[in-house]
Amino acid sequence: MSVNKNNSLQPLLIMLLGAVVLQLIPVSGEWLFWKPNFLFLVMVAWMLYFPDQYGIEFSVAVGICADLLFGSTLGYHVFIFAICGLILMFLQRLVVYLQVIHRVILVFTLVLLVEFMRAAIYALLDKPLFLESILSLAIISSLCWIPLDKVVSSLYLSHK
Amino acid sequence: MVRKTFFALLLAILLVTLDTYTQWFESPRRQLSEITIPLQLISNLTSRIKGWVVLNTTSRTELERKNASLEKERLILLGKLQRSAELAAENLRLRQLLNASELFTDSVLVTEVIGVSPNPLNHHVTVDRGADDGVYIGQPVLDAEGLMGQITHVYDDYSTVLLITDLNHALPVQVLRNGLRSIVEGISDYNEMRLRYVSPTVDIAEGDQLVSSGLGGRFPVGYPVGTVASISQNPGEKFMDIKVVPSAKIDRSRHLLLVFTLQDGDQSRDVGE
Repeated sequence: MSVNKNNSLQPLLIMLLGAVVLQLIPVSGEWLFWKPNFLFLVMVAWMLYFPDQYGIEFSVAVGICADLLFGSTLGYHVFIFAICGLILMFLQRLVVYLQVIHRVILVFTLVLLVEFMRAAIYALLDKPLFLESILSLAIISSLCWIPLDKVVSSLYLSHK
Repeated sequence: MVRKTFFALLLAILLVTLDTYTQWFESPRRQLSEITIPLQLISNLTSRIKGWVVLNTTSRTELERKNASLEKERLILLGKLQRSAELAAENLRLRQLLNASELFTDSVLVTEVIGVSPNPLNHHVTVDRGADDGVYIGQPVLDAEGLMGQITHVYDDYSTVLLITDLNHALPVQVLRNGLRSIVEGISDYNEMRLRYVSPTVDIAEGDQLVSSGLGGRFPVGYPVGTVASISQNPGEKFMDIKVVPSAKIDRSRHLLLVFTLQDGDQSRDVGE
């Protein structure tokens, strides 16, 4: 494990713990569909800024955490997060040097992709689909991304 | 990178298969849910702080007004209870005349919701009573308005409740008006359930009250489950599409009641509160 990774491990763990706590905050009814996947946002942030240390294996680990936290079938989030991880690895070099708004657009697109993949899996499993909340969820997730991006980019700059 | 992703996807498919067809991950899941309880308590702090702020910022006049209103409500409920006691006694006499089995009175234990499943499709809540309080798997859970669900996992100090609106929950019910029996199923929507296998020829109407029928032995008979909201018949379908609105405030109730049925033998206890 590199020195950089050691330095970034503590803030990463704090962020993951924070994401779990935020995820567990009880909200009622339809609001649950609008609640961003904070674990996913943390995963995107770290894979975008620290791709050498946090690659596909990291997306698999976060996917397992998400499956256990959400009580979904194990492997389901792993599948979706791994695909998003691959996309992030391809786009990382391009997006990380652009402005925040471009990363916001990337997150918006990724959240839409995640939700469509989720809907496709649910359709295969004959589970109910809730497509009407996807757009609002993507917008809220993009808004939540902005402060997260600020924090992780400052960590990235300090490590550089 | 692509190769790693390929292996990750293979691993995901393997995990899905194993989790679907085996019970291997049940134990780690249980252990993890025990670990997440302190995190759930931390997450719940926001609503506790909100409650504390509301309590401490409410004026004395407002509290007095609320107290007077509650006192009035209590008197009305006590009046209704007297009538209910009379009806219960009459019902018992009639049942004895018919040689029917005696209905037992259930006792309850108040509990508080300390966690809600973050997955909108899984309708589970965690409550702050567990095996130490005599809670058992399959125990019915109510709120002030109606049936909420049943206990699915019991730990020492807390338990998990599967709500009646969960996709995997089905509950035998009967129409209060005419005793028509059916099954109400959750569809992962907090405000709606479906009544299954009701033929178009049966007597059911919008606004009909549904109560638990007691069939299956899991839920005691007579607890409110929901109200028929709409009935439609799709051409070519054998059964009607009936939407039911749950009686309980599934996504809003904070304090719940654990029902101890006195027919439960060893598990029964007198914990009326």
